Amino acid sequence: MFQIIKRLWQVNWAEQWQYRANLLMYLLYWLVSPIIYLAVWTSIANQKGSVNGFTANDFTTYYMLLLICDQVTSNIVIHSFGYKIQDGTLSGELIRPIHPMLTNGLVNNIAFKTLTFMGLIPIWIILYFLFKPDFSGVSITGILLAIPVMLLAFITGYLLSATITSLAFWTTRVYSIHEFYFAILLLFSGQFVPLTLMPKIIQDIAQYLPFQLFMYYPIQVILGKLSTEKIIQGYVSAGIWLVVAITLFNWVWRNGVKRYSAVGA
Amino acid sequence: MSLNSIIVEQLSKTYQVPEREAGFSAAVRSFFKRKYKDVKAVQEVNFTIAQGEIVGFLGPNGAGKTTTLKMLSGLLHPTGGKASVLGFTPWELKPEYLRSMTLVMGQRNRLSWDIPAADSFLLNQAIYRIPDDEYKQTYKELNELLELDPLMKKPVRNLSLGERMKCEIAAGLLHRPKVLFLDEPTIGLDITGQVRIREFLREYNRRTGATILLTSHYMADVTALCERIIIIHQGQLKYDGGITDLSHKIAPFKLIGVMLADADSHDLSGYGTEVQNEEDADKRYIQVKAEDVTRITSKLLADLPVHDITITDPPIEDVIEQAFNS
Repeated sequence: MFQIIKRLWQVNWAEQWQYRANLLMYLLYWLVSPIIYLAVWTSIANQKGSVNGFTANDFTTYYMLLLICDQVTSNIVIHSFGYKIQDGTLSGELIRPIHPMLTNGLVNNIAFKTLTFMGLIPIWIILYFLFKPDFSGVSITGILLAIPVMLLAFITGYLLSATITSLAFWTTRVYSIHEFYFAILLLFSGQFVPLTLMPKIIQDIAQYLPFQLFMYYPIQVILGKLSTEKIIQGYVSAGIWLVVAITLFNWVWRNGVKRYSAVGA
Repeated sequence: MSLNSIIVEQLSKTYQVPEREAGFSAAVRSFFKRKYKDVKAVQEVNFTIAQGEIVGFLGPNGAGKTTTLKMLSGLLHPTGGKASVLGFTPWELKPEYLRSMTLVMGQRNRLSWDIPAADSFLLNQAIYRIPDDEYKQTYKELNELLELDPLMKKPVRNLSLGERMKCEIAAGLLHRPKVLFLDEPTIGLDITGQVRIREFLREYNRRTGATILLTSHYMADVTALCERIIIIHQGQLKYDGGITDLSHKIAPFKLIGVMLADADSHDLSGYGTEVQNEEDADKRYIQVKAEDVTRITSKLLADLPVHDITITDPPIEDVIEQAFNS
């Protein structure tokens, strides 16, 4: 299995390099909204002193970390796999003795992220000198505690997106379904604004959803803003959501492939 | 283990295809209530193929050839009947099964478009768990037959159609499958390319004893490779047997070609149906029933100023054409 992953990595890594210009465009597109939020919120906070207790530096550190957390936990499986189901290119992968989505698809996403991450680093450094955030609240413990949960969140997020992508076995409208899912994700993950600034009801709902694990929760862990109790809660929630995502994905994928092979592969 | 690689019993596949009339109001109606039409792509087909056989699978477009190949390779669930390949039920997609067969279909299948074929080959080596020395040996053999070396380092997108097909076929054979399903393996290739792929498949079959089921539009593929053919038309099996028996069973005719002095002045309609043969314009050809050949030949020789006479089987294309229409 290690050998398969290694070779899959080589192929996907080489493939992603072929599209490096494309990737850079994608990265810039993806950076636009968090940087706008960062600029808007810090200027509001600068005028008012703070927004609901959030100072300008709080916003800066929050969004600077969000850029990294989002990069680690996000995935593009809907774009890298959806079309294969629709145009039938999946057939070639389906008759290989490995799981298309859990091997090739996953490695492809990681290769993509690694390359965009390399593009993010210089941009992040420039932003650092522009906004000069004060990261004094960040501790090694916080970082070490956040890394495993981000990895869990990535796998969970990948499987949830893969589940939605697999709806392509039934409907050609899968991209709009994923757009809707993505909007919900943005709302409850804390990308628009840190969740504590959201109405109480949104915060309450967010507790029961996996999305805050993608951004808000790991950022707060890194910044050392959560109590031990809250940190444990987050890990438990990550574990539960992982199991839910695995179950959901397996079920949808299995039935999807059955359907694929019923209608004409 | 049984000597039959492939056993197909009453295999059927019916597609449900949405259909609507053209036009705006029909589009609106179909939004609320979709009409489906059943398309019987394959209907209760039966055959068995022994280990090591090369069988040609023929039929016009839409006959159900590809559907059958997809069912046998596991991509499609049938709506009825059974199939067993190497003792596996294909559509269960068991990894052991997938490791022992190959399906070559079209030109974009196993190779990644953007990178050199060599990388895709190494990936296949890992996926199919091919030990290093076995991989090297297989590659060497494939390279001998297909001359792959010069193609390996170019990105697949920069290869020509024929080069790509060679790489696709090689990629599909690295794991030395025991059963090969080939859908139009020579499509788009020039004559030399076709001949090379044909020779290669024959040699592969000889060396490994693999079972091969192939479809082709090029009759030459089939006549060169297959002793046995299966003809399918509108989803139904029309013929299963030797390629040489086909003409006896389906079209028991012979062609008599005669070269005559002042060729055009004689009326041949009394001897049999005259047919055109563009390859040999010097002779005139008549089609006669097999049992009448001797009688009509001696009559022709007696009645007319014959310079030369030949008796041949009708071209296989014509015979199969007749089989489709019968």
